[in-house]
Amino acid sequence: MKPEIQTPNRGIAKVLLIEDDPEDALLLREMLAQRRDSRFNLECADRLQAGLERLGNGGTDVLLLDLSLPDSIGLETVHKVHAHASGVPIVVLTGLDDEALAIRAVREGAQDYLVKGQVDSNLLVRSIHYAIERHRLLTELEQAREKELRLKDQFLSHVSHELRSPLTTIQQFITIMLDGLAGNLSPEQREYMEITLRNANQLRTMIGDLLEVSRAETGKLTVERRRFHLPELIAETLRTFHTTAAPKDIVLSADVPNDLPAAYADPDRVRQILTNLIDNAIKFTPKNGTVSALGHVWDQDSDFLRVAVTDTGCGIRPEDTERIFDRLYQEFNAIEGNHIGLGLGLYICKELVSRHGGRIWAESQLGHGSTFTFTLPILSMPRLLAPILTTKNLRAGSLALITVVLIPHGNRLLTKADENAVREVRNILKRCTLPDKDILLPNLTLTELEDIFFVAACTDRSGAEVIASRVREQLRNCKYLQYARLAVTTSFTMVDIPPMEKRMNVERIVGDVANAVGDTVNHEILQKKEDSYDRKENSHHRR
Amino acid sequence: MTAKKILIIEDDKDLLRGLNVRLRATGYHTVFATDAISAISVARKEVPDVIVLDIGLPCGDGFTVMKRLTSLAPTSATPIVVITGRDPSAYKDQALKAGAVAFLHKPFDNDELLATIREALGEPSEKTSPELRTPNA
Repeated sequence: MKPEIQTPNRGIAKVLLIEDDPEDALLLREMLAQRRDSRFNLECADRLQAGLERLGNGGTDVLLLDLSLPDSIGLETVHKVHAHASGVPIVVLTGLDDEALAIRAVREGAQDYLVKGQVDSNLLVRSIHYAIERHRLLTELEQAREKELRLKDQFLSHVSHELRSPLTTIQQFITIMLDGLAGNLSPEQREYMEITLRNANQLRTMIGDLLEVSRAETGKLTVERRRFHLPELIAETLRTFHTTAAPKDIVLSADVPNDLPAAYADPDRVRQILTNLIDNAIKFTPKNGTVSALGHVWDQDSDFLRVAVTDTGCGIRPEDTERIFDRLYQEFNAIEGNHIGLGLGLYICKELVSRHGGRIWAESQLGHGSTFTFTLPILSMPRLLAPILTTKNLRAGSLALITVVLIPHGNRLLTKADENAVREVRNILKRCTLPDKDILLPNLTLTELEDIFFVAACTDRSGAEVIASRVREQLRNCKYLQYARLAVTTSFTMVDIPPMEKRMNVERIVGDVANAVGDTVNHEILQKKEDSYDRKENSHHRR
Repeated sequence: MTAKKILIIEDDKDLLRGLNVRLRATGYHTVFATDAISAISVARKEVPDVIVLDIGLPCGDGFTVMKRLTSLAPTSATPIVVITGRDPSAYKDQALKAGAVAFLHKPFDNDELLATIREALGEPSEKTSPELRTPNA
């Protein structure tokens, strides 16, 4: 018994032929019509465009495709069809007997490749049936794989969240014991509780890593980039390791010039990367070693900062310096003679660095130590403004910098409780910008909670007034600002754009305009600081 | 000065007990509830200064509780600190939008919890006394 071809049209396969030669089309129609055992419903299109439109209507079971069409030639034709309707199996049918081309066509997404003149009715029908079956199997496989991946990620995410509650309880009771809230501990009891706490903390890191990996795989690993100073962050991070390094007499040092240009990155993520690298360095370094962190402008690309963590540990075999960044790579600790961790830390570092547009790599001499290096973009006004400083916008000749300043009532500083308000101001400003014309600049204040926001808008003075008044109106209606007891002022400054003349260096104009915007931004931030200082002084005098 | 009153709403009874010990030792007065329904009645009766709220609860989740509390007179202005093991990327915004003043992801540091509570109470931020601080916890 013959197996039934599975098509939605109850055994009648709907075939679309895209072929510009009417004689070839007629020939194929006859070949299909000869068959008594299979039934086909053949439609023809003589141009790719017309064919794509038919495909768009749906219902096509298989596509017979000529590669030399009036509006598309060669493999490009397969590529276009596949991009347009990847759900339809394709049988290429051409006059070219070219094995290499045939293979490339299959790689581009075709199921089969037939040469005109070598095709008879049997071959054609078999090829059509096989194409449909192959395509169906492939689709099923892909769907099953996707489903499996999704389930795995859901499971990872679920597990790492479920593990958190009991861990919170464990940590709480350990610290209750250690803080003496349940009576005094003997030195031995204290030591054991400290060991327990250290292990609970390790567990916590691993659970965090599991979650990060599932985020990385589903594209949910977020980075919130802003302007920040690396030297402080490096010093701060190193400080948190003093208690870990002390028992092994490991010296921690930093070499980072204080006048390093500001980075454009997510400081929490950079801390996470550094913490991981320093933690590893200490783990793999024997007693009396050193772990040092350095940061400077990268000599190979001055748009980037280079950060390196160097240790005097056991080193990495040359063949492993790339593999260690792979997911689930298990590091063997020669010092403690065991495998440690889940093998996720460096993979997460790599994901985080690449999300910032940077690179990470390791260099090592076995037995003498390792250096882990990553790069981070330097904050660059020309690059931030590039999307709107197009030749067209530059020609229009004017740019406005709209500044929104938050002033907390009663001279207090912004606190975490103002987070909602800050977030909402950002959302409102985002909504007030036009794509290609305006850009809401990232947080440039060097603090986590921004009290001053900037929108660069390619518009003239009257346009800037319109934007500013729209911003004012929206902010007035924002209930978060009312709750948070924050006053808001909105103002704007015009930035000159030199007239565009023929053969002028656009890059230089972009640079000049961006610098002017940068200067205005810095001036406004400084001004805001001075203002709040003055207000504080005044209120002191009044007291 | 009388001790500030904190309502802990948490269905994990072990964690509830741990938080209770911790917050009392810090000098707060604590009351508690372990499900969404009793949470609302305890809140109305006790009128706490701060509410520490878990999201996953029996008889309705933390969001239901927040909705009721923020719309009822005695608790409409009480600051709510959400504590949960759920993914912040999915729940943080939602919690803050629903009226929480802060979102803590489990497991959180005691320092973090205490600083958040102090801030919610509008108390000046100060370090916890040295003998109550445990490194890395």
